[in-house]
Amino acid sequence: MPVIEIAGLRKRYGKIEALRGVDFSVEKGAIYGLVGPNGAGKSTLIKALVGSLCPNAGTIRVFNLDPIHDRWSLRKRIGYMPQSAALYEDLSARENIAFFGRAHHTLQLNKKLDEILDFTELRDRANDPVHTFSGGMKKRVSLACALIHDPEMLLLDEPTAAVDPHLKARSWDFFREMAGRGMTLFISTHLMDEALLCDSVAILRRGQMIAVDTPQHILQRGKTRVVVQQGTQKQTTQIASTPEALANHLHQYGLSPDVQAVALQQDSLESIILSLVNKQEEKL
Amino acid sequence: MTHTIIVAQKVVHQLRRDKRFLALSIVAPLIIIFFLKLFFDTMADGFPVERYVVPIAGFLVYFFAFLLCAMVLVQERSQGTLERMFVSGFHKRSIISGYVIGYLGLATLQAAVALGEALLLFHLDYSAQTILSLFLPIWLLAIDSVMLGILVSTFARSEAQVFPFIPLFILPSIFLSGLLIDNDRLPVWADWLGHIFPVYYAFDIIKGIVLRGEMFVDHWSNIAILVGYALVLLFLASATLKDVE
Ligand SMILES: Nc1ncnc2c1ncn2[C@@H]1O[C@H](COP(=O)(O)OP(=O)(O)O)[C@@H](O)[C@H]1O
Ligand SMILES: [Mg+2]
Repeated sequence: MPVIEIAGLRKRYGKIEALRGVDFSVEKGAIYGLVGPNGAGKSTLIKALVGSLCPNAGTIRVFNLDPIHDRWSLRKRIGYMPQSAALYEDLSARENIAFFGRAHHTLQLNKKLDEILDFTELRDRANDPVHTFSGGMKKRVSLACALIHDPEMLLLDEPTAAVDPHLKARSWDFFREMAGRGMTLFISTHLMDEALLCDSVAILRRGQMIAVDTPQHILQRGKTRVVVQQGTQKQTTQIASTPEALANHLHQYGLSPDVQAVALQQDSLESIILSLVNKQEEKL
Repeated sequence: MTHTIIVAQKVVHQLRRDKRFLALSIVAPLIIIFFLKLFFDTMADGFPVERYVVPIAGFLVYFFAFLLCAMVLVQERSQGTLERMFVSGFHKRSIISGYVIGYLGLATLQAAVALGEALLLFHLDYSAQTILSLFLPIWLLAIDSVMLGILVSTFARSEAQVFPFIPLFILPSIFLSGLLIDNDRLPVWADWLGHIFPVYYAFDIIKGIVLRGEMFVDHWSNIAILVGYALVLLFLASATLKDVE
């Protein structure tokens, strides 16, 4: 039974049609990426899922509930992190998180607060007003507010936008850990490379879903170019982006016939720079 | 019910941290009443200062309570916390009533501060009973103003959009509701227009008390109208606040 089922979803704001017939479904317990450029309709889709926006047409079921008609039963089970920080700037991190915790009548709130402040690494600054925080810290407070009541599903709207690479990597560690605890995460991003970190990716473009697949399958839709240099001669061949195709291609150059798959797993530039930064920090 | 209290606690908490709150509810009325004193001191002897002082203090409360309440609530929408409150399971009824309760404290404080400042600066020595009688219409006016602020905030999408409501709701009442000129000297249509604003009824009570030695209780119909305003504005605000876009 899918936890999210969307059919024929449409939403227009005046003349602008933000969602133009979206069909989509999500199974339980994994990380789903909603990828698309700015203005694709990601926020609109997430708002419709949490019931803060009424669609013009189509049906939405979240845990088999309607986000608007069954909102009182649904809201206990979902956590929502809006795209903007959506925090009280004059209140401290702890007070912000506690306010939303109380809204859900969270039991043992103080214990939960300590846990969540540790988890999001905010313990040291917990009692400072949020307006003194950096953008990345605000994102973590905002995430904590969405997590405080132990929801079964988290809907995060661009949680890693405008966050530095280190924190971005940490955030994805958080998301993996939460998915490991059986939570379903629905994460929007305009950063295409983050799609690789999801278990399944939905690509939204101008209000329409253009692909739903695993990131591996999406990568395979691309082509790999193999450039081989022998002496002064350079030969470029285009092959499918699979480890099997690469092995197959290399057999003609004498790769042992029993090698079935060859994959190159190069560090990304980002991860290389990150490790340089970390090394530098260890030295200091 | 508990949700209402959670919202009210948050509102009070937030106000205590907000510098605009301190500035608008204590410092600004004090400065303006002080300037008023400088102005009235230049008037010829026999100028009826009492006729103006307390109504002006009431007007300041009306103005600042409106501004503060509307701005804080609009900010709640523009920064996204209103949406977050709804998704966290707050009913719009609890949000509005939480704000009303939280701001009731604010209205009480603002009314007490403005009246106290006016009495002190102008050396008006009224009996305790008269002071209480003066406090009550200002307090009711502050509550109406809070309700007006809540209502306006359901229309305004950004803080800047609160400002057009000032010339619409607040400024005309200076001239039309008996603050500077008694309404019987206005053309009939202007007199009627002045009756739209809740300040008219509060000023009527205040002038009765300071000029004719009446008491708060002598003004049941005005009191009923001020309370009615609060209820109607509250009803309108709950009807216009949207929890789903
Ligand atoms: N409240 C709104 N009023 C009018 N247009 C809107 C509103 N919200 C979003 N839009 C428009 O709808 C489209 C999709 O917006 P959005 O869902 O925010 O996209 P994304 O989150 O993918 O950047 C955009 O063209 C945007 O300008
Ligand atoms: Mg968006």
